[in-house]
This record gives sequence, C-alpha cells and structure tokens, in this order.
Amino acid sequence: MSVSHGLAGSPVRLVSDGNPVSIRFGDQLIAVLPRLRRFARGLSGSAADADDLVQAACERALARQHQFQEGTRFDSWMFRIVQTIWIDQIRSREVRKEDGDIAEERLGSDEPVRRVEARLALAEVRRAVGYLPPDQRTALLLVTVEGLSYQEAAEVVQVPIGTIMSRLARARMALQAQLEAGRGVDRSKTDAEAR
Amino acid sequence: MQRLGDDRLVAYLDGELETAQRREVEAWLDADPAARQQLAALAESTHLLRLAYDAVVHEPVPDRLIAAARGETAAAQAAAQILPFQRRAGARAMVSPRWWITLPVAASLFGLLVGGGAAYLGIGKLMPDNGAVKQPAIEAAAANNAWLDNAAGYFKLFVSAGDNPSVDAPATGDPRDALQKISQSLPQEVRLPDLKVWGFSFRSAKLVVAEGRPAAELVYTTDNKAIGPLTLIIGSSKLPDISPTFDRRQDVNLLYWRHQGRGYALVGQADIGYLWGIAKDVAWQLDAI
Repeated sequence: MSVSHGLAGSPVRLVSDGNPVSIRFGDQLIAVLPRLRRFARGLSGSAADADDLVQAACERALARQHQFQEGTRFDSWMFRIVQTIWIDQIRSREVRKEDGDIAEERLGSDEPVRRVEARLALAEVRRAVGYLPPDQRTALLLVTVEGLSYQEAAEVVQVPIGTIMSRLARARMALQAQLEAGRGVDRSKTDAEAR
Repeated sequence: MQRLGDDRLVAYLDGELETAQRREVEAWLDADPAARQQLAALAESTHLLRLAYDAVVHEPVPDRLIAAARGETAAAQAAAQILPFQRRAGARAMVSPRWWITLPVAASLFGLLVGGGAAYLGIGKLMPDNGAVKQPAIEAAAANNAWLDNAAGYFKLFVSAGDNPSVDAPATGDPRDALQKISQSLPQEVRLPDLKVWGFSFRSAKLVVAEGRPAAELVYTTDNKAIGPLTLIIGSSKLPDISPTFDRRQDVNLLYWRHQGRGYALVGQADIGYLWGIAKDVAWQLDAI
C-alpha cells in the first residue's frame, strides 16, 4: 500500500488494487473510534457486538464517504451510521443479551471490596440501560453520554426535537426506576442476610 | 405552583431550556420539595450513567477497527473500490459544546477508579435513599433551613464582595494558612478538598457560624464564570446523618449532607448536575459519606 496525491491534490491512500481512500477521512474515523465504541457498547450491551457494529459502521462510512456533507458534524454522521446498522440488526434477528461485560466486572478476590462494589454498581447501570426500548436507549446515550444537544440528537435519529425530549424523559425515569428496583433487591438481600 | 412534566425537569438538567422556561422550572423547584428531590435523583442517575460508559473511551482501540477505519479490511477495500474519490474539507471539531461538563466528570471517574478509591460508588450510597432519608422532625427541619439560609447568605456575601472579599487571612498570605488558623477554632481539623479537576482553585477560608457553632467556609474560584465561584461549608452537627440533598435559595444551588457529626454544604450557581459531581468528589476526599 502506498500514499499518493489524488487529482484534486488531497492525499489519498491507494488500497490493494489502486482505488483511493482519503487519508483525512480515515484519520477522522480513527479519531472518533473511542466514542463510537462507547456508543455502540451502550446500544448493544456487549463488547464484542459493539466492536462488530463499529467495524461495520467504518466499512459503510468508507463506502459512503461521498455522502458526508461538508460543514456538518462528522461524529454525528458516524453515530447515525452506527445507530442505523444496529436498528437493522435488531430488526433482522433477535439480539440475545450476553453477560460477557458483566462477567468482566467479577474481579479477582484480591481487589478491594469497595472498588468491586463500585464496578458492580456501574454494571447495574449498564444492565438497566439494556432494558430500555431501542429508541429511548439511543436518545439517552446520544445526549447524556455523548453530550449531543437535543437538536443534534434529533438530527442523528431523524425525528423532531420534541420526540427526543419525550424519549429522554421516559428513558431517564425508567432508568431511575430500574436502579431503585435493583437497590431494593440488594436491600432485601442484605436484610435477609442480617436476619 | 403547577407541577411541570418530567420532560421539562430533564431538559432543565440538560441545560436545554430557554430562559423563560428555566425560570418557570426554578420557581417550581423553589416551591416543591418533591421536585427538588426528583431533580437530585435525576442528576445522580445522569452522573452514574456517564461513569458507567466512561471506561470504554480509555480502552485501547482494537487493531481490526483501526484497520477498518483506514480501509484496510477486505470489506472496506471492497467498499472503497466502488467509490469515486472526492476531496473532503475538514469536518467541524468533533467535540460537543457540552463536553466541558462531561469531561471533568469523566476525569473524576478515571481518577477514582484508577486510584482505587471509588468508595462512594456503591449504588446504595450513590442513589438518593428515599427509604433511609426520613422526614426530619420539625425542629431538625427548622435548624436545617437556618443552616442552609446561612450557607446561601455567606455565598452571596462572597459574590457581592467582588474582588475584595473579607478573609480571615492576610491577602498576601497562603490561603492554606487561613485554613490552618481556622482549624484551631474548630472542634475537628478541616481538610482541604482538591477541586482542580473541576476547574476550581482554593481561594480563601473563613470562620463562619453554622448550627450556632463555628464552622469553616472554604471559597473556591474559577475563571469560568458559567460555573463559579463556589463555597464549601464544613461544621459540626448534632443532627442525624443524611445523604446529599439538593435545595435552592433564589438563584443559589445547595447540596448538603451530614455524616458522623459533621455537616457539609456545597454552595454555588453552577448547574445541579455539576455540583452533584463535585459534592461526591468532596465527600470521597474527606471520607464524608
């Protein structure tokens, strides 16, 4: 593989049979990968599925790089691609929840107890997110975790801003209820142990 | 005061309301303790949610994804082959305008987890404990209100004093000397939380009165006028322990809690979600939760 310059003077990377891919486009893609992985992890609930999702999104982005509009947010464009692929996946197959991530939280016995508790608490949050309907989960992750404004999130999922607002409210209330319920179970266990 | 919808409260927390709507929500919060409790619970779950996914962005990105981004996988190369190359202008910066909120939270989490602390991250302690936080007795509530009135008042005094606040230490001296001096007047030593990760620098310490007893007011300032300054009051208390609780006095937000004979109040005009993160950090640093 070699690096050259295209007809317009922009650097390109020549893939194996001589077709070009913009280096700058690729660099932008690499720069946004950590956030894409985080977004995908939130959507899919599994590290392996999330990385598969991001890889598919990269491939689709490269195939459609000419559709990216100058002056718009590259990360939002990529979030949209990730979200679209994920929706396609859950429509075409029943996504089985894997507890691989949760297993990662079960740490060795030499880890301080309080840190294990902390990580289990965060695993509980991720589990609660996994119970949310896909549209609410998407809105929650885009705004609360990725820091998009309501308007930006609405553009990513292509719905009115009011829809984002109501999805977010439902998601936040549901998340809170899930966490409260989980804490109630924990408290019951503690009470039972105490007895 | 008419109860507003949950979506309005969530949008307030997210900083998405226009000025008039924001004032409407703040009036509601001033009038309705249940709304304040709900807002605090929302801020807490928001904070947790950000923490829950923060570690992912610190993980090394798998090689296969970097290869895919560079068009070096078989599928990407196949995709690239069917495309005409088009010159791309640089995209806009990929940092959200609201990352000034998220990043300190993320930095805080990273520090806590890597540092092995994270003591306060147990979910039972983090979430507002509606079951455990019982309605205080009338006397305790009255004392609490007076304490919060004072805390907000001291904060306003500092703000209105501008660049010439009255401090209990020489202006040219190290503000930590003031803290040391004040500690001598208190039944327990006061430690100084480091809030640099939140963008705040310790400015001064003052001796104030809370619950009729001497207390320390620590003043922190920042160049970011959108979030600062803030004060932290630490005093002794005979009231029962409570989890961090949100309250407001006009345009001043307060988060207060009590732990093992000490009362704490974090006071400022930053949004409640930001203050919540700082309060948790303070509580962790001072073993105050």
